[in-house]
Amino acid sequence: MFLTRLLKPRITASAHCDLPCGVYDPEQARIEAESCYKIIEKYNASSDEQFKTRAILIKEERAELAKHHIDVLWSDYFKPEHVQKNPEITELCWKAAKQCSKVKGSLDIADARTLLEMIDKIADVWTKAGGPQATRVAKAVAARA
Amino acid sequence: MEPALRAGDWILVSSLSRPPRVGEIVLVRDPRDPANLILKRVAAVADGACTVLGDRLEESTDSRTFGPVPLANVLGRALLRYGPVGRIGWLW
Repeated sequence: MFLTRLLKPRITASAHCDLPCGVYDPEQARIEAESCYKIIEKYNASSDEQFKTRAILIKEERAELAKHHIDVLWSDYFKPEHVQKNPEITELCWKAAKQCSKVKGSLDIADARTLLEMIDKIADVWTKAGGPQATRVAKAVAARA
Repeated sequence: MEPALRAGDWILVSSLSRPPRVGEIVLVRDPRDPANLILKRVAAVADGACTVLGDRLEESTDSRTFGPVPLANVLGRALLRYGPVGRIGWLW
């Protein structure tokens, strides 16, 4: 016991500065953006005022979530070496986050479509950067199909 | 820094008798918060500063975030992992 006390380190250093789970996938943002797209479709097809009010509320919430997921990709996943190889990623994320704000306040399906396309471009960079292998846990074979 | 360093490891650090070399693990002051000490691996030494990287690039916060660390803030070199018993081993 004396020896343990004697040898016990006196200074604590960390070797790991943050503890992210390390899982990043633009699909998370896409699913929220798809929700916005479908909600706008349903809103425009409905004449039920109550339904339409709820649709607006839920769409705003989903658009905010899409924005959050884009932000996480941008600030946590993409590292300087990714930006060096794919300089367009800065503007893609910035514009996509802005488009989320637009979709939040819009009932135009074209705005939601634009957001989906922007997220797909981010996903292209993520794939090129090796994101699927580096960040995702492989699925069981049956679920992959 | 896994698997070289894990939370709870006991590390013997020597003060620097010479500038650190690429590949060595060094104890540095976090440039963002000098009270915080961190252990990272040297990736380059140039112009009186040391670029340090974590072994797990995907998850590490290192010189890619906080830039090179001035040699004055490199406090020592990790020599030995002396605990826990099952993980005892040299670090250089």
